[in-house]
Amino acid sequence: MPRNLKIILGLLALAVIVGLISLRSLHRRMQRMVASRAAEEQARHAVLAPPISTPTDVTVKAKIFWAAGSDRVAPVEVEMPLSADPVERSRQLLQALVANPPTAGQRTLPEDTTLSSFYILPDGTAIADFSDAISSEMPSGILSEEMAVNSIARTLESNVPGLRRLKILIRGQEAETLAGNVDLTGFFDLNSAVASAASRPAR
Amino acid sequence: MSAQSENSVRRIVGLSSPPRESCALLRRAPEDISDILCVVRNSAFFPLALLVAVVVGFLFWARPALPFTQGGDSQATPQQAPSAVAPAPAAPSGPVIVLDPAHGGTDTGARGENGVVEKDVVLNMARAVREQLAREGYRVLMTRNDDSDPSYDDRAAIPNGYRDAIFISLHVSSTGTPGTASAYYDQLASPFPLATAPATAGAKLAPPAPSGLAAWDEAQRPYADVSHHLADLIQSDLLQSFAGSPPASTAAPVRALRSVAAPAVAIEVSSVSGSTPDQLAAASGPLASAIAHGVTELRQGSFGGAK
Repeated sequence: MPRNLKIILGLLALAVIVGLISLRSLHRRMQRMVASRAAEEQARHAVLAPPISTPTDVTVKAKIFWAAGSDRVAPVEVEMPLSADPVERSRQLLQALVANPPTAGQRTLPEDTTLSSFYILPDGTAIADFSDAISSEMPSGILSEEMAVNSIARTLESNVPGLRRLKILIRGQEAETLAGNVDLTGFFDLNSAVASAASRPAR
Repeated sequence: MSAQSENSVRRIVGLSSPPRESCALLRRAPEDISDILCVVRNSAFFPLALLVAVVVGFLFWARPALPFTQGGDSQATPQQAPSAVAPAPAAPSGPVIVLDPAHGGTDTGARGENGVVEKDVVLNMARAVREQLAREGYRVLMTRNDDSDPSYDDRAAIPNGYRDAIFISLHVSSTGTPGTASAYYDQLASPFPLATAPATAGAKLAPPAPSGLAAWDEAQRPYADVSHHLADLIQSDLLQSFAGSPPASTAAPVRALRSVAAPAVAIEVSSVSGSTPDQLAAASGPLASAIAHGVTELRQGSFGGAK
């Protein structure tokens, strides 16, 4: 075998070995980045939406509505501590809805969404005031916006008795639409006698 | 023209003309405007010409102010007559179909990873649908024909200005199964303040007030049933052209439909994320067919003449 060919083959073998070592290192680095990003995400959520616990918390199976396929929402049973106070209970549920979807594909609300405040009026009207991210980071479309509203409404009506209807505010203000399509100027009926009408907005 | 009739005309229109004798004696060529007026007044056709001028003037004054043109790529204005730039259909008849390309301007709507934006896709789609519907003899208007973003009320004002209009809002979604299409009708609204009995799906809508007036924000309310029917008709056609689409239309609180005092449906094609611009453009033909079939069947059925 000529000397030049031996040198070339040696260099190629060296390059392959270096490449394999680099690949392994790159893989490790990517894993570290993913873990770091998840940790950052958890830390950010902990700052923006700290866990809510109350003296009356009892661990129950809550039904939280996330996306089931591309065009509907369906309940997922989640064991979690829920307060006896309906306002705190609602806040805990909506926080779980935003922060803990089982998979990324089941998410219905943008991950940066936070619940700024939540009130329940004496007539059973629930008022949920979300941060701007629920609108600015929401994928625009009738389907995606309707699924987002439905996931909120169905989650509340399935776990908080006594609620009659829902009003969604964004940064404390009434918004015309969620992200350009679904009307937020009205109310969404909850716990309706007819399931199919439960999400109809009242204006 | 008799002196009596000329005097009557003068009294009606308030003319204070020179004495008839001076006009009658005019035998030379007219030199100025008073000479020309003198000749015209002496003509036997003066009352007829006056009448024609009044009628033409009235027709010009009372012409309908059509909001947007049917065709052309330039910015359409309310002053433009549709026939000026429209692709001339054989014989436009039936209801006015108002196509509403959603979003526009700074409101891009859904954005795809490949740079596709909903506002552009739906505008091109609406233009193609308009041409096809016009070829089939429908009268078609658009709420926008450029990269503008009319308000919801401005969009609704167009169908609300016609006695027999049908409003179709066109959308492309961010999500959903690519290649499918869904028709939406506006959800019923329960009254404010909160009623003792909750609203139900089967609740029938109150008919329009005896005066014929309706609150702008509630304008869609009396048309909920007919809009639902039209959405179902369109959806049944979409199901054949877009495999995997839902079998029936869906109720959703779509803001674009709320103030429309006419049968109104929103159609959303999926999606900017999973489809190429060519695939989305190819949806225009089936969309136009579905709309045309839906409108035709609606008018042939018991819901015809909804307004």
